[in-house]
Amino acid sequence: MLEDHAIQTRGFHNTVDEKGNVTGFQFRMRTKYYRVLWLSQFRPGDVIVDGVTYPRDEIVWELYGVDYTPAELRKRGDVAWQVTDAAIVKVKKPGGLSQGYHEVNVKYGWICNYIDPERFDPVLGINFYGFDNTRKLLIV
Amino acid sequence: MSETKKGQLKRGVSLYSYSDLFGYCMTLEDCFQDIYDMGATCVEILASHVENYPNPSTQWVDNWFKLCEKYKIEPAEYGHWFDTRLYEERELNVDEAVENIVRDFKLANLLGFKVLRTKLTTLNENCDPVPGWEKYVEKALPYAEKYDVRMCSEIHRPTAITTKHVQDYLEFIHKTGTKHFGFNVDFGTFQNAFPAYAERNDKGLDYPKPKAASKPADILLVLPYTYCCHAKFNLMDEAFDEVTIPYKEVLHIMVDNDWKGFLVSEYEGRRKDEPDFLYDQLRRQHIMIKRIIGY
Repeated sequence: MLEDHAIQTRGFHNTVDEKGNVTGFQFRMRTKYYRVLWLSQFRPGDVIVDGVTYPRDEIVWELYGVDYTPAELRKRGDVAWQVTDAAIVKVKKPGGLSQGYHEVNVKYGWICNYIDPERFDPVLGINFYGFDNTRKLLIV
Repeated sequence: MSETKKGQLKRGVSLYSYSDLFGYCMTLEDCFQDIYDMGATCVEILASHVENYPNPSTQWVDNWFKLCEKYKIEPAEYGHWFDTRLYEERELNVDEAVENIVRDFKLANLLGFKVLRTKLTTLNENCDPVPGWEKYVEKALPYAEKYDVRMCSEIHRPTAITTKHVQDYLEFIHKTGTKHFGFNVDFGTFQNAFPAYAERNDKGLDYPKPKAASKPADILLVLPYTYCCHAKFNLMDEAFDEVTIPYKEVLHIMVDNDWKGFLVSEYEGRRKDEPDFLYDQLRRQHIMIKRIIGY
């Protein structure tokens, strides 16, 4: 089962390459939307941790074992993001995050075929906002 | 008001009602248990509830039928989207969009659904469909026949039944003579009270205001082509009355006209993410429906 919050407790870790270098961090996120989305309908935004912005184009989204850049996500109209599954959001930050609490914020939204196209955010390129997207999480 | 005749309307629940809990503290079986527990006999699912959509495993499909049998629940309606805004740079053409929704037709057919809530791409907040919608629907009709499913366009607040595009849908039905395109009337179209708590959801999203609510008798305009209704509700009070929608008037008309479709609860009120509150609200609504329809 998932946690209620979009950002999940389990999965918040620093990432380490094969040489043992800490390359960044990652966390898990579900959409909290009631409908299953095609990946191309998802609109990822920036990740902000402790006030530091990690631009959306540098974030990698892993779904079902495959890494996608935001540009790659937009081409995948054939892969469905189930409401009961979480993506792994991967952020580059040499050295990673320190042990303890961090405030993690992720901006995201989606395009739908029945939401007023006029309700549109040109910066994120979305016409319907995600929500519940900030959480304090622990690095152990 | 005349005494309502016993009809064949079937009382059920849409899993949309549980969407804040599904996958968090409720499994598919929990949803079925809850529906069974309130004496309801049919269910609406959305594509969202099919594990590994659009390709569920054989094991999942077998389990689906086991659940239907165990809890004596009939598949009522399968909700899906006629998505054309799949790519940022372009709309899907008719062939591509139809190819995609045939997947849903097959899946619905596989799971025992004959009625679909088919969401056409809309142009604006009034739910007017995009120009040329009929080309998409027309192309999908032979497949709907083949897989024995009825695409139902939802008449959803702020759309009133007397809205022009509903008239256009009716003309399409008459012109083609099809039995595979019709309506799902969402009871929110009859909402005639707008207390502040019912106008914004827990996520802070304001609902679009209707220009005019449908009148109960308006349902007669579309009833012969209505295969399922969303029993939308915003708040049930302790006297088992829905405080924003004239249920009694609408249901009496439907039953008196021998409507035989599925009526599935769709909770749209606050505190949807609180199991205790939600389960109680659903039961209150089912008491209301039982009292009105008489069974």
